[in-house]
Amino acid sequence: MRVPLSWLREYLDFDLGVERLVELFTLHSQEIDGVYRLGVAEGEVVVGEVVEFGPHPNADRLSVAKVDLGGREVQIVAGAPNPYPGARVPVVLPGSVMADGTKLKKAKLRGLESYGMMMSERELGISADHGGILLLDGSYEVGQPVAEHFPVGETVIDIDVTPNRPDLWGMIGVARELAAILQTDFRIPEPSFETGGEPTSDFGLRVEAEDLCPRYDLRRVSGLTPGGEAPLWMRRRVHAAGMRPINAVVDATNYAMLETGQPIHAFDAEKVREGIVVRRGRAGEKITLLDGSTRSLDDEMLVIADEERGLVIAGVMGAEDAEVGPGTTDALIEVATFAGQNILRTSQRLGLRTDASGRFERGLDPNTVDYAMERVAGLLSGVAGGRVADDTLGHYPEPVRSWRVPLRLSRARLLLGMPVEAEEAARRLASLGCEVGGEGEELSAVVPTFRRDLRREADLIEEVGRLIGLDKIPEALPGARQPGGLTPEQRNTRLVRRVLADLGLSEAITYPFGPGRWTRDLRMDGDGEPGVVRVENPLSAEGRDLRPTVLPGLLDAAARNRTFGARGGGLFEVGRVFAPSPPPKGLDEAALHFRMTGKVEALGPDAEPNRLSLMGVREEARVCVVLAGTVRPGGWNVPELRAGYFEAKGMVERLLPGASFEAGAAPDFLHPGRSAVVWAGNERAGWVGELHPEVSEKFGLDGWPVAAFELEAGLCRPDPEPRFRPFVNVPAAPRDLAVVVKESVPAGGMIAAVEGLGSEMLVEVRVFDVYEGSQVPEGYKSVALGFLFQGEETLTDEEVDVEMERIVVRLGEEFGARVRS
Amino acid sequence: MTATDRIEELKNAALAAVRAADTTAALEELRVRYLGRSAELTEIKKSIGKLSQEERKGVGRSANLASREIEGALAARTDALAAAEREARLRKEAVDATLPGVPFPRGHLHPSQRIIDEVVDFFVGLGYGVAEGPEAETDYYNFTALGIPPGHPARTMQDTFFLDEGLVLRTHTSPVQVRTMLSQEPPVYVVCPGRTYRRDSDPTHTPMFHQIEGLAVDRGLTLGHLKGTLAAMARHVFGEDVNVRLRPSYFQFTEPSVELDVSCFRCGGSDAHCKVCKGAGWLEMLGAGMVDPDVLEEAGYDSEEYTGFAFGMGPDRMAMAKYGIPDLRLFFEGDLRFLRQF
Ligand SMILES: [Zn+2]
Repeated sequence: MRVPLSWLREYLDFDLGVERLVELFTLHSQEIDGVYRLGVAEGEVVVGEVVEFGPHPNADRLSVAKVDLGGREVQIVAGAPNPYPGARVPVVLPGSVMADGTKLKKAKLRGLESYGMMMSERELGISADHGGILLLDGSYEVGQPVAEHFPVGETVIDIDVTPNRPDLWGMIGVARELAAILQTDFRIPEPSFETGGEPTSDFGLRVEAEDLCPRYDLRRVSGLTPGGEAPLWMRRRVHAAGMRPINAVVDATNYAMLETGQPIHAFDAEKVREGIVVRRGRAGEKITLLDGSTRSLDDEMLVIADEERGLVIAGVMGAEDAEVGPGTTDALIEVATFAGQNILRTSQRLGLRTDASGRFERGLDPNTVDYAMERVAGLLSGVAGGRVADDTLGHYPEPVRSWRVPLRLSRARLLLGMPVEAEEAARRLASLGCEVGGEGEELSAVVPTFRRDLRREADLIEEVGRLIGLDKIPEALPGARQPGGLTPEQRNTRLVRRVLADLGLSEAITYPFGPGRWTRDLRMDGDGEPGVVRVENPLSAEGRDLRPTVLPGLLDAAARNRTFGARGGGLFEVGRVFAPSPPPKGLDEAALHFRMTGKVEALGPDAEPNRLSLMGVREEARVCVVLAGTVRPGGWNVPELRAGYFEAKGMVERLLPGASFEAGAAPDFLHPGRSAVVWAGNERAGWVGELHPEVSEKFGLDGWPVAAFELEAGLCRPDPEPRFRPFVNVPAAPRDLAVVVKESVPAGGMIAAVEGLGSEMLVEVRVFDVYEGSQVPEGYKSVALGFLFQGEETLTDEEVDVEMERIVVRLGEEFGARVRS
Repeated sequence: MTATDRIEELKNAALAAVRAADTTAALEELRVRYLGRSAELTEIKKSIGKLSQEERKGVGRSANLASREIEGALAARTDALAAAEREARLRKEAVDATLPGVPFPRGHLHPSQRIIDEVVDFFVGLGYGVAEGPEAETDYYNFTALGIPPGHPARTMQDTFFLDEGLVLRTHTSPVQVRTMLSQEPPVYVVCPGRTYRRDSDPTHTPMFHQIEGLAVDRGLTLGHLKGTLAAMARHVFGEDVNVRLRPSYFQFTEPSVELDVSCFRCGGSDAHCKVCKGAGWLEMLGAGMVDPDVLEEAGYDSEEYTGFAFGMGPDRMAMAKYGIPDLRLFFEGDLRFLRQF
């Protein structure tokens, strides 16, 4: 809501700088979006009379004038050609500062001295018109300040009105609000006009769609001066408030709307056939609007029609047919309220939001209609010479009445956390238009109907609190009555993130929606795949699918980093993945019901469908890591760390100690020979592996080694609960063993086999070398295993030898391992 | 030559040799030569038994004295040489101490997550629990349960991503609060951090962003408790010196509703060209309010017995302010040049 301060001063007196005004509004009422200045910010504009006017000798497009400023004559260079000798013009004097901050100086323009400037309407902040110099009439006396007639500069504050306060979409509401803040009075203009115009009752009024139109008033204003422009003061205000001045009739309706917040529509009475009908749209009905577009109506849209055709899509926009135009002399004025939700729906259906629809959709107060009608009638008779009909046609079957809301001061003190006196609460509410009654600690307020947001005690308490000032509320802390804390899962997830960061990775957060190519490029679009969750209205095709894995977003990020010159790096993300999960057979209706109402209908006496099964989407938290290229650069004494299967696997082992790895079963986007499914006990925890080269290429990572893993966040155990195991102070006996086995023998299997022997002395097995080359036959490899044996007492060589022999035998039987000599 | 003279001679020779030795290895050789099993002095000692009673005493004593003297000299010389040698070795072992150490690279946590962790830790310290909920949320929990039924104007203000019928990507974390209230009796103290989604994309809006909402429901909670709690939170995140102010506002689920501004932690309002607050002196930090009685009743709480406050903040914007990040879009690009700064 743009509020020109000179207009606001019509309703109340205040002596405040604009900064203080903005601060007061901010702290007690509404946020201020901005402060604008129009016209001349500082300095003087006087009336001049053009004495001579002719072309500039050195410039085709410029003119030069001699102007009498009342006793002295000055030379002014002008860009517009419309002044003529004898014309009165506004002249801004050198030294003045314009709204945009430029300071006017005496200047030479193409060799000619120019003293000040003759001004257009735009330069004076009257309208957007910059077509020529504003010509003043004879009532402006030469040499006198123009400001005696109208303000030559304007300050406008733009209030960001919250949706619960449609009353602040009118100057009067803003004035009431400011008066309440300042604890002062305000005044409302008293409409006055002459009646005796042509009777409204020459026309009919029929409201068919009563449910969509709580109130409809129609009054005729005849004898209008055709083609007239509104007076300067009115155009100026309409313009400053952000609307375009058009003609006297339209400007007067807009002016009354800006003042009251109530949209007003004017029909050309000569074009209305028989009468006004308020009805629903008809199937196949079309209407061509003022903006030139033709719209199809439906039966949920409200139309203001005459007996023959639709004239207006109610509350949204009028048709060309019956609008007031330059030739209008007889007008029917509509002041009405429509069902807000219906207007919202219509404007959304049509994709057409107008100033009026924005007001109606919040739900306006039908009782404002009376004053708005009086006011617009008064303005029309004043600025367009109209005569107002004696009669008004009205439809208002169920008048809205004020309501009473009780207010307990004890409750106010409780909610606000500060002292509130009864007298003060009563005074504050009264300043908002409430009639306050009650006694002592129990007040009650009769709320004016334009404050539909004040329904309950808490609503009144808010008003009292903000007007007293929220700065008066002392800071306090509630006494903690319960221990807080993260859940074990949350602690675990946080630890996972810390551990990955400590491993040198960077935490990324990427969008969970992506293009369809994600699943294609990851080879996840096959027949057996679960498919993806679709966004019905993505911002673009690039955000159509919800990710079934965190991987693609991180791959895109890695590729992007490569584009910008990175040699590689490690990224991780902890986030959700999504999979479609259609409701069980026959429960589609139940699912929709649940999603819309939160309620689950019982299937039988004790069978209730699982709520999760009705969600339609299965959502899981995952930890994903992508290692790409050089994860960590080498140093002068350390080798670089390159992305690879074992680097990724090591991180998996850090996050999920005791995980087992099943080769050959990982998803298709991984290198089939360098990947594994990760198991946490019997639960599938995720996968790890190098990226399939084809997938690498699709993501723009070809030529880089890329390894990745993804795990269920909930299964990670980076810091398992410790459990003490006793130990004895007896030296342990290490032994090494190198065996030759076929290349295909998995080292993990060998370790498992050794552990499977169940030796009580064996406390550690590890692989410390794997060798393939000239020392072993083609197709074979040498695997070096290290063992640590520990007994209750110092073990003898013979005792350890027995164990080693069992190991050798087992490895020989199971894997054909030969001890390497 | 008497045995005693010979001993004296040997001793002098040994001491001279010790003085002349210049390595610990040479000293070890001298020890063997003069004191070893087959050294002459040792032989003399062994043969003492063959001497007369009278001679025995004198020779024995001088032999022992000589041995001790030689040992002493050897030890002293060894110590001196060892120290010198150790020093020489350490000199040789010196490295270029200005070369970088073996890297143990630090990883990086996302700036939004840093703020979320800080805020969550603060509230956990006040006795709050932490609740999470689905990002693909039902229409009911995201809207209707919060007083925004179908057709309500507020629905259009939150440009929503729609999934399957009746499902949306949650536009705020408020549904988590609803779910919490439906599953728990007062007192409730909970914060709900998480990702949220709106159909919006420009330099200051991304289609995904984070929210942290919080809810406290208990007997006797006031707007003053809200103010005190959030002021302490602001000081925890932005520093002890910041002030807060409340402004009236409007939200669907609170009454009274307020917004909380934090005084500029960079300039405190003293710099008209401040990059953080743009000269305003205040930063808009969060929206909050006393939980609307209807919302309490909807959750089955007695709104006469219990009051509560709720708040919601944007950790991404808090991170922008705290770390001086100019563009929200940077947060979600996975760009290492960005991530490695945190
Ligand atoms: Zn600042």
